[in-house]
Amino acid sequence: MERLGPDAVSDDAMDSFLEKFRSQPYRGGFHEDKWEEEFEKIPLFMKTAPSEIDPKDNPDLACLQSIIFDDERSPEEQAKIYKDEGNDYFKEKDYKKAVISYTEGLKKKCADPDLNVVLYTNRAAAQYYLGNFRSALNDVMTARKLKSSHLKAVVRGALCHLELKNFAEAVSWCDEGLQIDAKEKKLLDTRAKADKLKRTEQRDIRKAKLKEKKEQNQNETLIQAIKARNIRLVSEAAGEDEDAASEGLAELFRDGLISENPYGARVSLDDQGRLSWPVLFLYPECGQSDFISAFHEDSRFIDHLTVMFGETPSWDLEQKYRPDNLEVYFEDSERAELYRVPPENTLLHTLQHPRYSVKALTPAFLVCVGSSPFCKNYLRGRKVHQ
Amino acid sequence: TRAPGGAEDGGASAGSPTLEAGIEAEAAELLPFLMPGARAELQAEAARHVLALTGSGPGRALLAGQAALLRALAELAAAPVPAPACNASRALVNLAADPGLHELLLAADPGLPARLLGRALDPQWPWADEAAAALSNLSREPAPCAAVMAVLEAAEPGEPVLERLVRALCTPGYNARAPLHYLGPLLSNLCQRPAARAFLLDPDRCMIQRLLPFTHYPDSSVRRGGVVATLRNCCLEHRHHEWLLGSEVDILPFLLLPLAGPEDFSEEEMERLPIDLQYLPPDKQREPDVNIRKMLIEAIMLLTATATGRQQVRDQGAYLVLRELHSWEPEPAVRVTCEKLIQVLIGDEPERGMENLLEVQVPEDVEKNIQALRGQLEPPMLRAPQGPGWKQY
Repeated sequence: MERLGPDAVSDDAMDSFLEKFRSQPYRGGFHEDKWEEEFEKIPLFMKTAPSEIDPKDNPDLACLQSIIFDDERSPEEQAKIYKDEGNDYFKEKDYKKAVISYTEGLKKKCADPDLNVVLYTNRAAAQYYLGNFRSALNDVMTARKLKSSHLKAVVRGALCHLELKNFAEAVSWCDEGLQIDAKEKKLLDTRAKADKLKRTEQRDIRKAKLKEKKEQNQNETLIQAIKARNIRLVSEAAGEDEDAASEGLAELFRDGLISENPYGARVSLDDQGRLSWPVLFLYPECGQSDFISAFHEDSRFIDHLTVMFGETPSWDLEQKYRPDNLEVYFEDSERAELYRVPPENTLLHTLQHPRYSVKALTPAFLVCVGSSPFCKNYLRGRKVHQ
Repeated sequence: TRAPGGAEDGGASAGSPTLEAGIEAEAAELLPFLMPGARAELQAEAARHVLALTGSGPGRALLAGQAALLRALAELAAAPVPAPACNASRALVNLAADPGLHELLLAADPGLPARLLGRALDPQWPWADEAAAALSNLSREPAPCAAVMAVLEAAEPGEPVLERLVRALCTPGYNARAPLHYLGPLLSNLCQRPAARAFLLDPDRCMIQRLLPFTHYPDSSVRRGGVVATLRNCCLEHRHHEWLLGSEVDILPFLLLPLAGPEDFSEEEMERLPIDLQYLPPDKQREPDVNIRKMLIEAIMLLTATATGRQQVRDQGAYLVLRELHSWEPEPAVRVTCEKLIQVLIGDEPERGMENLLEVQVPEDVEKNIQALRGQLEPPMLRAPQGPGWKQY
């Protein structure tokens, strides 16, 4: 707006001022098409303040700001202003900005301890809502160092510990708070909650422990059963054999049979004390394999083969794999020799063969058609025991 | 100076007049040595002698008749080093254990309860347990209990004394030199008074909740017994049952835990138990003290007084625990109490989902017993079992 002279009050001056606009357009007015924008820029009429104030863009606002945040004011006054600003942001749920404001207030290092306590506590609250529980906890601890009886800091601290699942700490903080105000409702509620969660956590630990113990016992029983049968086990990874301390065996189990066996099946003991094994049949001629998830140790190879090859498998292009012409072998990897397994043998009998070792707790056998050229080829050049 | 002669014949017949006169004369002679200002070694010797006297009925009776001596003793019990406060305190414990002497004690030293309480709750006082024990013994009977409560209720600025008491009891390490177990029985005795119960049961405070974990405190049956007796006394307040059994307090699991053993429940049964009783380790022990077991069952029984309470107790899996307890319980009196409670839980009320419980076989003679006793619940015993007075040493 044009600055009016000192005698603008008089009517004449006013008339002459207004006269001017007959000939000259008023320059200081809003532009017709942009007036709403320009209206928004006037501090008095702003609906929302810009987050950053650029003095070039908004000189009036920058001016006002510099008046408020004048370094000539005392640190206490400045800190209080930052605190109020932070509180305003907090009310609007703009917690990030609130943290910044409170931080600025704390930077002033004003001499008023109560103000600082509030700044720390409020910043802790803002951090809490941002999910930064550890930062919030640090702030309340600092606040309490300045004033241990500040109840809001204690409440916030207890809530932080609750979120961090430090249930015992949460209860402890609540108790400290209740010493300041024995009837503080938030503390009573938080304490009850934390206590219940702590007891639930203890239950979960007990449950897990019991489960682990049970599994250990089951594994122990299995190991004993296998040992009793004189079956040799080999760990695929280490390549050492069972003659090493039985700890090695326990480790085999502990290392997770499930992870070694991609099919998720494992050796098990039934109510009659009989074992069932996951067994692999490999068909070197066709590069195929079959997996039997539970081969009862007393059942015979021929029983399984009869079922499995009752129908011709899809990969058997020549349709020659039939139960009665299949030959089963196992490999003694140490000596690279093959041993023929009579199909009438039970699994147990075969596993007990002095030269047989079970790898990765999953016995594996080679199967091919006895009379086929492949088989003859395969067996040539290798020592084969019948 | 002549040391006081031995009067260790306290066990001798009470009737002999010359003996009594002799003891009385000696007791009177002790007085100057107990006064403040007397030389430390003399005080110590006199206190030791007094303690010896309190080891017998006649000895105690005679001491109680000497008001000035009692006052001096009470002051000694609270006096700082080098005074023989320990022996003086123990003498008071023995005196207070004798119900016939309470009136005399309080008449001789009306400020005794206040002083004992102050010492019991002083975090620095090494004989705080003795003070608590003396006060606990004193508060067993209704009249002295009322006197003690009057002291507590005397308007005090700041923290109410009962709150301090609970805090002292429940804060580990509150007193570095005294374990404070006797605050337990003290609290339970005070809970004979409705005002004390009302304070503990105030829903706007966190008081009774702090006591709950101590129902399975392994290091002291005195403390455990005191806490359980306190809880049982509080269970007299029917109006608070719903709150006690609800999530804000959750009292039932803490009453059941000491009664539970290392049972191997099925998954399904486990889920019906309160969280604190699930998956207990195989070395879980039951409460070894017979009286405490009885009080725990009594407390639960009280909680079944109302229909809602009964339902809450049922819903929270009490039956399973009590069933196992019943088959383990060696003490006949406790077994009967357990049976009564099981009957109440099984009850006549047709409840949904409880049909299987009605199939429980109760042996015929027990059945007859139960019918006879039903409706004749023993009047609740409010007092804690008598704590041990200190013997002379």
